[in-house]
Amino acid sequence: MNPVLSIDALEKAFSTGFIPRRKDILRGISLSVGEGEIFGYLGPNGAGKTTTIKCVLGLIFPDAGKIRLFGRDHLDPRAKERLGFLPENPYFYDYLTGREFLDFYGQLFSIPKSERAASIARLLELVDMERAADLPLRKFSRGMLQRIGLAQALINKPALVILDEPLGGLDPLGRKEIRDIILRLRDEGKTVFLSSHILQDIEMICDRVAIIVSGRILSQGRLADLVSETVLFTEITISGVDDADLAAFGESLSTQAGRTLLKVCDELNIEAVLDLVRAKGGKVHSLIPRTRTLEDIFVDMVKPQ
Amino acid sequence: MGLKTRLDRIPRRKIPGSSIIYIPSGKYLKMATFGYSSVLADIIYIWAIQYYGNTAIEDRYTHLIHIFSIISELDPSYIDPYVVGALIAVEDTRDVALALKILDMGLAKNPGQWIFPLEAGHYAQLYLKDYALAKEYYRKTMNIPGSPAIARRLYAASAFKANDLTAAWETWLEVFQASADPQIRKIASNHLYEVKAAIDAGTIRDAVARYRAKSGRNPAALEDLVRSGVLARLPKDYDEKDYLYDPATGQIKTQVAPWKR
Amino acid sequence: MTITVIARNTFKEAVRDRVLYLLLFFAAVSILFARVLALLTVGDRVKIIEDVGLASISLFGALMAILIGTGLVYKEIEKRTIFTLLAKPLRRHEFLLGKFLGLVLTLAVLLAAMSLIFLALVLAHTGTLEWNLLLAVVYIFFELVLITAVAILFSSFSTPILSSLFALAFYLIGHFSWSLETLLKKLPSGATRTFLRFVYTLLPDLENFNIRSEVVHQLPVAGAHLLYSAAYGLVYAAFILGLAIVIFRRRDFI
Repeated sequence: MNPVLSIDALEKAFSTGFIPRRKDILRGISLSVGEGEIFGYLGPNGAGKTTTIKCVLGLIFPDAGKIRLFGRDHLDPRAKERLGFLPENPYFYDYLTGREFLDFYGQLFSIPKSERAASIARLLELVDMERAADLPLRKFSRGMLQRIGLAQALINKPALVILDEPLGGLDPLGRKEIRDIILRLRDEGKTVFLSSHILQDIEMICDRVAIIVSGRILSQGRLADLVSETVLFTEITISGVDDADLAAFGESLSTQAGRTLLKVCDELNIEAVLDLVRAKGGKVHSLIPRTRTLEDIFVDMVKPQ
Repeated sequence: MGLKTRLDRIPRRKIPGSSIIYIPSGKYLKMATFGYSSVLADIIYIWAIQYYGNTAIEDRYTHLIHIFSIISELDPSYIDPYVVGALIAVEDTRDVALALKILDMGLAKNPGQWIFPLEAGHYAQLYLKDYALAKEYYRKTMNIPGSPAIARRLYAASAFKANDLTAAWETWLEVFQASADPQIRKIASNHLYEVKAAIDAGTIRDAVARYRAKSGRNPAALEDLVRSGVLARLPKDYDEKDYLYDPATGQIKTQVAPWKR
Repeated sequence: MTITVIARNTFKEAVRDRVLYLLLFFAAVSILFARVLALLTVGDRVKIIEDVGLASISLFGALMAILIGTGLVYKEIEKRTIFTLLAKPLRRHEFLLGKFLGLVLTLAVLLAAMSLIFLALVLAHTGTLEWNLLLAVVYIFFELVLITAVAILFSSFSTPILSSLFALAFYLIGHFSWSLETLLKKLPSGATRTFLRFVYTLLPDLENFNIRSEVVHQLPVAGAHLLYSAAYGLVYAAFILGLAIVIFRRRDFI
């Protein structure tokens, strides 16, 4: 199956400052995004995520490398017809109302007027912005701007949606709503490419990920493959049993207000601990198995730098 | 506010805007106007009117020509400044030559504007009593298409006063023939009468002089001139009447005054 | 066509700009001030009104073109609204041309409004509608089209303050370059003269759009002059816009 987006050996450097000093931002990025998947582009701030996205969109011209969208050269307007984009910290024309704003972008795709009106109504419902549709954008809150921005990215019923830090600055409820929308997009058959430095979001919804650090892709692949299911250790919170007795089975991470947080590595020991607690008449407050998370992988990768 | 009123009452030595007299030439000023030379000309003109109306400034006439030539450079087709500038020169400083200079400048830049030589003619006639000059100006005026009919008459009148009797005669004839207005025809014919009288008086005086040269004395009557062969024919006045002759003085007169016909 | 979409949106944006209305207000005041000034003159009052009125339209039109034009592209870049815009199937030159046309449209509407006030004032003084004054306004419009192109050129890579200064410099040079011709006549022929003549031809000559004096004095303007003047304006503007497009085309938006 042909990849929706493929980037091959992308390089970009900037010369900034009064005495131009060359700074390498992208040092040979290669990745590929398949149809119908949610692809997470992960990396710390300043790694080059936004720069990569801008290269794909034709806002920045790479020094080397090739980018193909839907099998075409990425600068081909026909490729852009099926693309939707939401930038980080979106800024929009603050003198337009929500509805006028969507209409304007709709016109850029040469969507006929009748169809535009229907699409706008549908999108406003999707992002829950119907109430604010006739307010000028300058009166929108950050969360509202993010939603109307998402609506704008979808106005042309795109096959590929690129989202740069879509969940930044939102409250937990807002983040859940956006996550749900993204999952819905995948259900509709769209491909989503999103970048973030918040690992939990990526972990929750992405199918495949690429990790970029200092302009290089350090890891790329299915999320499930990167994050194994093996349990590393189990954390058990216990009260009513002496630390000395527990020490045989695991490591005491902390003792607070009569509760001990015990780290048990061997699975066999879990049963033994539970038996001990029951015998001593203590209480188990929580039992959490810890698997290798994306955060672990990430930290491991970033640390040696 | 009281201070401001007090301040206003103290007479100011420096007149606002008068640094204009230090501008060397209108030509260079035009370069600095960036397309707004007409408006600047208007403003300078309006300023000049206030300036020349301000009797407190004693030496304001020294730069009259300079200021008005700046206005002319900025907007050569602006008519009012030439006319008013000349007026100021004549009325306030009695400098008729300057007025004529200004009006000449106006005509040079606007050959189609008959107002300039017309005004110049008036000034030449009224103040300089230079009828030859006035005649020239009126001639220029009448040759400009669209000039008023009176220019012709003024030309003829000054020609007469400047003793150019041929021009006077021809022009008054044209006026007489061209006009349908009985009033004007009457005026024209009176002038024709006068001019003819002058021409004839000259002819007769010459004859009298020739007679005297021959016979040593004035003729007793005008008929003697014809009889002696000094004059071929005795001229009659415009109305076919005889001229009056006084043998003692040799004076020739018409029977009636031209305007009493 | 996408250019018209951008143009219409730019028009909407310009029309909601407060600076515009401020300038329009001052333009109206300036035109009406002509009436007051005319009272001070001895002689032809209408000439003063016509001169000051046309000068106001020209001056405020230029200010509008410069002040709004220099912000047009810069604002989009600064506010990053350009990111979402260029991610759409919109070519970069379509964006620039759309902005240009939008502003030109706005200026046309403003000139019409100012002309209305002006003609009404002249009507009040002469009792007739002096349509030939509109000919001068049309050529003011051509001049503004060229100034707008320059403002957009600078706006695409420079801050509004610098762009305004450059555009203003263009305006001043444009109204000054005619005097180079007088200088050229005085020079002896040779390398300097050829070089200066070359420079003179390149420099913008905004004076040739200035037929205000002729119109006010009711002197005839040669049809050839009108034709060539308009053509000059349009060609020069196209050249400037071409330059702007070239600069804009390969620009990285960080």
